[in-house]
Amino acid sequence: MGDLKLKCVDAGSEFCPCYLAETNDCITCSHLQGKDFCDCNWTGVCIYQEYVWNGYKSKNSREIIGSKIINKKNINKKCVLLKLKVTKTLARQLREPGSYVFLRNPNVSEYFDVPMSVMDADELNGYIYIAYKIHGTKTKKLDESNKNVLLRGPYWNGVLGFKNLKTTSNSNCLVIARGIAQAPTVLVVKKLIRNNNNVTVILDKGNINEIFIEEFIKGLNVNIIQENLKSSKGKFLVEKALKEEKVQLVFIGGSSSFQYELMKKIDGLNLNPKIVITNNKEMCCGEGICGSCSIQLEDGSIIKLCKTQIDVEKLLKGGLR
Amino acid sequence: MTRVIVIGGGWSGCAAAIAATKAGAEVILLEKTDMLLGLGNVGGIMRNNGRYTAAEENIYLGGGELFQITDAVSRHTNVNFPGHKHASLYDVTKVEPRVRRLLNELEIDVRLMVRAVDVEKEENSIKGIILSDNKKIEGDVFIETTGSTGPMGNCLKYGNGCSMCILRCPSFGPRISISKRAGIEDILGQRGDESYGAFSGSCKLNKDSLSKEIQNKLNEKGVVVLPVPKEDVKLDKLDLKVCQQYALKEFAENVVILDTGHAKLMTPFYPLEKLRKIKGLENARYEDPYSGGKGNSVRYLSIAPRNNNMKVLGIDNLLCAGEKSGLFVGHTEAIVTGTLAGHNSVRLSLGMPLLELPRNIAIGDLIAYANERIKTKEGLKKRYTFAGSEYFERMKKQGLYTIDKEKIQKRIDRMNLLNIYNEKLL
Repeated sequence: MGDLKLKCVDAGSEFCPCYLAETNDCITCSHLQGKDFCDCNWTGVCIYQEYVWNGYKSKNSREIIGSKIINKKNINKKCVLLKLKVTKTLARQLREPGSYVFLRNPNVSEYFDVPMSVMDADELNGYIYIAYKIHGTKTKKLDESNKNVLLRGPYWNGVLGFKNLKTTSNSNCLVIARGIAQAPTVLVVKKLIRNNNNVTVILDKGNINEIFIEEFIKGLNVNIIQENLKSSKGKFLVEKALKEEKVQLVFIGGSSSFQYELMKKIDGLNLNPKIVITNNKEMCCGEGICGSCSIQLEDGSIIKLCKTQIDVEKLLKGGLR
Repeated sequence: MTRVIVIGGGWSGCAAAIAATKAGAEVILLEKTDMLLGLGNVGGIMRNNGRYTAAEENIYLGGGELFQITDAVSRHTNVNFPGHKHASLYDVTKVEPRVRRLLNELEIDVRLMVRAVDVEKEENSIKGIILSDNKKIEGDVFIETTGSTGPMGNCLKYGNGCSMCILRCPSFGPRISISKRAGIEDILGQRGDESYGAFSGSCKLNKDSLSKEIQNKLNEKGVVVLPVPKEDVKLDKLDLKVCQQYALKEFAENVVILDTGHAKLMTPFYPLEKLRKIKGLENARYEDPYSGGKGNSVRYLSIAPRNNNMKVLGIDNLLCAGEKSGLFVGHTEAIVTGTLAGHNSVRLSLGMPLLELPRNIAIGDLIAYANERIKTKEGLKKRYTFAGSEYFERMKKQGLYTIDKEKIQKRIDRMNLLNIYNEKLL
């Protein structure tokens, strides 16, 4: 009943409260939405308290840093793998599933900031790995850089249903990824393995036409299967895995229509696993300001997906399908 | 069987759970922290002034269990301090485990560290309570005893910030108004200047940090009164307080300390440097709230509109008690309203008329009087307690105040209400 309680992925972090607090648009805190009394569901140190202690101002926002390209490898004509040098702190901040950064060619303006999922993070040596598909203006310009890029981050809302990832352990999990969505899948698999889960990974080349994450996950004791998931064989394979292995959690990396079809299949089989999906909305500022990632939910409310964590089921009932 | 869900494990929630169980319900009690009794873990004052009458009334009505415990663990009985007579001071370090054992013996399903965040409603009925982990608990009747204290944003906006009280919001999550979630607007208490909420009325010092002389006196007599240096006397501070029964001039000119296991300092907060100027308190430190030198929890920002039988207006199967049900102060007030709500939860499920206590007993009169007054502008600025202030004056005037147990028993008997809470309805 009542307002939907929303959780901001930044709540409690060094970037909270943010600009949204200054304009009474905080995702989580009722006081910082201009209301008079507490009505939130945030279980950490009070966001309003942090705001007042900070002199009624938002905290520092993310900085733009220069990052050296250590290695740039063309997986094929359309797809590139980058190894970037970052601080160990930033690498550590980017090791959880859903982490993303904005990248840009240093020779162009901030309009060209393009959000990129972190594929892997090496916190011991300070590297992150990014895979991107050359697709539009932003990625074409980015691809012109060979020595350095500008990087803004860390951001965290690249997967939806993060809580499900955190709370699943000692279970059978099915990880499905297609095309460029293989990239955010690596950190998901690593998280599930850290929580002692039994993980089956089904990968589909998709329109990238390449499997490029095997070397990142092959030492992890996971069962990797390659298949075209749009073929009848692929569909059968997914159905079989879902039915036979008592799967507790399903991760779906791929386009929204791909996610929606798989969700329908799971529903049709009368299974009730926890669902985690890649967040496919177009991010532009990543700060909840520009509104490019806004979606409307079933109840008519509008949320910004660059920061808001929301149950996958609620999302699919609304506008994402 | 009727399933009753009690939300909030403070004194009123425990009382409601016991009464509903005795009337025949299966009861689940949800508590967000790891302890029952909430702010009762740092309270302790019972049986002062009219609370004596109310406690005895509740015992004769059949709701004596919790008073037996507070009596049994009292460190001192029959203590007098300014404005107050015949108080009992229960030992805050002993009371919670005793209550928990009692609830276990009654086979009440107590779920600790379980926080209610929302309701599922169908027309005007609540079907279930949604927990913070998204699980749902279904029931037939619900009793909200979530109190009105905090959470942190309220303590900041209407107080001096989180003072780290026993409720420990950063650890266990915010209080959420269940009635508001169900679509019923909260009523807000005010201070004299019409600002919202009020501070909790006392803070607790670590007894070992006080001088040996004060410790001995506390252990022996239960109370110590120490004069405040003239330059530090502030009468306007009294207006901040929840507990208007302690908002007397004596409490501004002196510090009054009671022995509840901790040394209970009868003021909402007191700057530590000033406190240490008082003889015997040179090494004092706070026990609860940890930042008692700076502030205290803020209360009365979440009251549900209700009938005199404790049913929330506008929801068919929700009752309330304790601070959630009015501008009440104190454990006794929580227990007596909780007991009535618990008993009535079973009546409600059976379609029986709900019990409304008559106004010629103190409990019935307080419940009805507070409900009348909360509808007025002036009434929102008052607090209602058997222990003092406006209501105790009324009690005396109406001839309701007495410490004669036989007289109280006769009074209850005459209404044909003796042991009514012991009746099994199901």
